Amino acid sequence: MTHKPVEAYGLERRFGDLRAVDGIDLVVEQGEIFGFLGPNGAGKSTTVRMLVTLLKPTGGTARVAGYDVMKDPNMVRRSIGVALQDAAIDPLMTGNELLKLQAILHGLGSKDATGRSGELLERVGLTGAGDRRIGQYSGGMRRRLDLALALIHRPSVLFLDEPTTGLDPTSRQSMWEEVRALNKEGTTVFLTTQYLEEADQLAGRIAIIDGGKIVRQGDPAVLKDEVGDPTLRIEIGDEIMLDTAKAVLSTFGERRPARHGRLAIGLSGGATRLADVVRSLDAQGVPVAHIELDTPSLDDVFSDATGRRLEGDGDEDDELDEGSVEEL
Amino acid sequence: MTAVLPEPALGMGDRRHWVVVIEQAAALAKRSIILTWRTPGAWVPGMILPLMLAAVYSAQFGSAVHLPEFPPVDSFLQFILPASVLQGIAFGAGNAGTDLAIDIENGFFERLIASPVARQSVLIGRIMGGAVFSGLEALVLIGVFLIFGATVSSGIAGALAIAFIAALLSIAIGGFGVAVALRTGSSEATQAMFPLTFVFIFVSSAFFPTELMRGWYQSVAEANPFTFIVDPIRRLVISGWSWTDVGQAIGLTLAVAVVSMSWSYRMYLRRLDVK
Repeated sequence: MTHKPVEAYGLERRFGDLRAVDGIDLVVEQGEIFGFLGPNGAGKSTTVRMLVTLLKPTGGTARVAGYDVMKDPNMVRRSIGVALQDAAIDPLMTGNELLKLQAILHGLGSKDATGRSGELLERVGLTGAGDRRIGQYSGGMRRRLDLALALIHRPSVLFLDEPTTGLDPTSRQSMWEEVRALNKEGTTVFLTTQYLEEADQLAGRIAIIDGGKIVRQGDPAVLKDEVGDPTLRIEIGDEIMLDTAKAVLSTFGERRPARHGRLAIGLSGGATRLADVVRSLDAQGVPVAHIELDTPSLDDVFSDATGRRLEGDGDEDDELDEGSVEEL
Repeated sequence: MTAVLPEPALGMGDRRHWVVVIEQAAALAKRSIILTWRTPGAWVPGMILPLMLAAVYSAQFGSAVHLPEFPPVDSFLQFILPASVLQGIAFGAGNAGTDLAIDIENGFFERLIASPVARQSVLIGRIMGGAVFSGLEALVLIGVFLIFGATVSSGIAGALAIAFIAALLSIAIGGFGVAVALRTGSSEATQAMFPLTFVFIFVSSAFFPTELMRGWYQSVAEANPFTFIVDPIRRLVISGWSWTDVGQAIGLTLAVAVVSMSWSYRMYLRRLDVK
């Protein structure tokens, strides 16, 4: 028989009257990177804590790595790797000491623990720093050590909670590389993140949680398509051709607000129709100075689902567009 | 149904459960010893304070040993050796609780219980780490007293017995700290209860014979359990080896340790269950 890495049905957690997680269904398939998104307080970490057996559900069921989190928590713990955000790493211990301790906590004998620690330090590029105290590590090094700690027993499912929060772009890139490599080796990854780009880069499927409920779940590309047609913006070289251009574009989709001197439509049929647009404009003799196709981002998916933006740094173009609606 | 599920690639394999429990407890004890050792501020004052008090008291009350009611001793230094050792241990015994509270505050405790570590190893490791450290501290303190001319009549066996009782005492006191830490999850709350131990020590026969005390102070000191632990230890130092004295000190400390550890075990289960 086959089992799914994560399978939750009607999972619920109440704190008094508050339903932090309100009956969610989640299925993670073997070998995928599953992105779990949501704003702070949406129920994201409560869900993860239930899945990794740190918190008891008040309703529903969850199986992780094939084991029931309520009935068989210890088998779940033995099968999964967990790197919780900001979970303490003793600054006074060395990386090597902490890895060996983690190995023993997973039941390895002390000889295996030493071997495995060395292997993992090398894997995450900390061999040289293994005997230094963690207090002297950079943020990126700590996260890599944290990842190594989660991998000590070669788990089949890895839970990563905001693995790159607070990291500089270079460290973030190398963390992403590492996660991809692990995934290629067959590890299923359950990734919690507040960075949409991270989910976009890594995840094959995502779920968005808001107010304790899953509001979207699926392939990011499909979810983006569902938000609506991508926005096509063109700038024409000659103002005289403006009306002709409008007429041509109106056959490809409905008009959208655009900055002065530009035209925008929702391109129905998406990117595959782009060549047709260009051909038609060319046939009518419209000179095109600039053309861009803006596909919906995960932030658009999020805002479509919740009515709010997840990331503060909204798309500047959109804001400009809204400001200039009356010019059309 | 679970039988068909694959085992993780690495784990305890077919090794016996109790072997793994002991290994895990030992590894966690080692961690707490390493962390204490690397935080000198947590234990050096606990070693120095009793030595300073011993020096001051010896100078102040040195001639008290000639009072008729004073037990027959070589010197006042010899008289307060047991009190100083136990005071040093009591000072450090709070660390087990405080360190655990810090682990809870910063998330290490969570990392621990998210791992498949045997649940009992966590508590045993924490307490044993403190106990081993305390036993070693006791030996060092006795050593310092010997250098300054005090003698232990029961010899090496007596010194080792005192170190063992000291380790047991650190479990007895540490258990309360661990229970408070598990109950509150706050290092401040845990630290706040330790001045209490000092009151216990001072209102006892630790620094002065109860025979020479008067009034309510004498009554309280005579009823103080700490008096019943420190008196037999003192007889080991002054008069020589006695199984009765060793038995009394160990038995009483053990009884307190059982009470405090049962309480901390209950708090531990409770903390695991809220999860």
